[in-house]
Amino acid sequence: MPGMWWAVGAIVLVGLVSTYLVWTAGRVERLHARAQSAARALDAHLLRRAAAAAVLAERRYGVELYAAARIALDAHPDEREAAENDLTRQLRAVQLDPVDPDCEAVVAASRRLALARQVHTDLVRDARAVRGRTLVRLLRMGRGREWPRYFDIDDPILTVPADVPTG
Amino acid sequence: MRIGIVCPYSFDVPGGVQNHVMDLAEALIALGHEVSVLAPADEDSPLPSYVVPAGRAVPLPYNGSVARIAFGPVSTARVRRWITRGDFDVLHVHEPLTLSLSLLAVLSARGPVVATFHTAMTRSRALAAAQGVLQIVLERITARIAVSALARKVQVEHMDGGAVEIPNGVAVAKFAHAEPLPGWPGECGPGTGGTLGFLGRFTEPRKGFSVLRDAFVDLAPSRPGLRLLVAGPGDPDDLFGQFPAGLRDRVTFLGLVSEEEKARMLRSVHLYVAPNTGGESFGMILTEALAAGTTVVASDLDAFRRVLDGGRAGRLFATGDPVALRDALVDLLDDAAARATLTDCGDQVVASYDWPVVARRVLEVYAAAIEATDGRVIDEEWVGPG
Repeated sequence: MPGMWWAVGAIVLVGLVSTYLVWTAGRVERLHARAQSAARALDAHLLRRAAAAAVLAERRYGVELYAAARIALDAHPDEREAAENDLTRQLRAVQLDPVDPDCEAVVAASRRLALARQVHTDLVRDARAVRGRTLVRLLRMGRGREWPRYFDIDDPILTVPADVPTG
Repeated sequence: MRIGIVCPYSFDVPGGVQNHVMDLAEALIALGHEVSVLAPADEDSPLPSYVVPAGRAVPLPYNGSVARIAFGPVSTARVRRWITRGDFDVLHVHEPLTLSLSLLAVLSARGPVVATFHTAMTRSRALAAAQGVLQIVLERITARIAVSALARKVQVEHMDGGAVEIPNGVAVAKFAHAEPLPGWPGECGPGTGGTLGFLGRFTEPRKGFSVLRDAFVDLAPSRPGLRLLVAGPGDPDDLFGQFPAGLRDRVTFLGLVSEEEKARMLRSVHLYVAPNTGGESFGMILTEALAAGTTVVASDLDAFRRVLDGGRAGRLFATGDPVALRDALVDLLDDAAARATLTDCGDQVVASYDWPVVARRVLEVYAAAIEATDGRVIDEEWVGPG
């Protein structure tokens, strides 16, 4: 009975296609959720760095650095990238003292921020790549979620004079 | 932190990745973390207590060399069981793009995954053909580490992603306190004596042994007491055959050496020479020689220049030029003060490669991966000095 084999073949095919679709939908969901988590972590590290910079500025470097830190803390989402870059520039302009614990805190916060930025960029790229696939777009998977956005800032890593890490 | 590390290659055979994994695991344990290492190995082979054997590895030709790996349904089941039992905060896989336990672990993982890329291999043809599969593996990785600038460049250009560059660590204490071989390094003064060292496959052209040989043959007749200590895999006849009969008694060959013997060998020479003509992505041996407190003379390759801090921590000479090498050797053998200046700077440089320092940087990447997975920030105490 050749007709039955057609039916079996069709059922298997439908099964495979739907497995693939379910798997792809799960993948889209997972990558978006992860990009969102990374964005929250990045946000937290930006706040930490700005807070550490404000503490340091109050004590030693004065009004310009303090203003940059405040602006970064209060920035509207549209202006945040520029404000963070400005804070990075201000931090690079001052002479950081490697033995001062407040300076140390700013340097450490910047290092953690650099890692968070790197990871966030990678995860956003992954999520956007899968979102852009033809099948995903056609079936409008991931609707209800915004396209993950890059956060485009300069590398915030700071180099301290006499950069000898203390173990 | 509970850390699961996956090593793709068997501990039965020594290798750069295996050493890296063991040193990293020990450094993390010393910092107070719980570490479990999954690696292919026989159940009954002697292993450190933190290693979980995943069964015997089979030799498989890969990318021009033979890799001993474990792959297949049995290995998959073991990897899954290890991950479930381990309940790790973070999973750290090495070389995840080889057909290995690492790849299986990435595909089985649920939580944050950190991957370290060691080789600077460009995408192999097999991988290029399987671009879709590659993407599925890569997108399960949360954070990537490259051990050299070159490995990082490959990540950026061929795999569409950034990577944090964290160099290979070196167990400074092991090298700094190794006992020199009896009778070495011997005398070294102006115009006389001195011992040169070379470690590696002397038959491989890009290791540049012929450059060192030419410089040695040129210099030895006019410098009594100059000796050469060679270690590495190879046939002694191939080595001694390269030297004129009169000079052969001034060359000593150790053969293939263990890690401990390597440290002793590096402590047994006045100058360690790295005459490589290319193909080095990092220059691990240079950091080891610096850790041993030995003066380094190296060819002017990008990787070496970076490790030697542009020439402040060791002498660089024009790559592939035996005359330039000979001149550098004469200068340094005659001048103990110049050697001391270089090794002092070498001590500073190598401090940033010491495993405890490197392990803390790796911990920061773990923290970043965990944070990016659940969106909350980990307190400093997790990664701070401890």
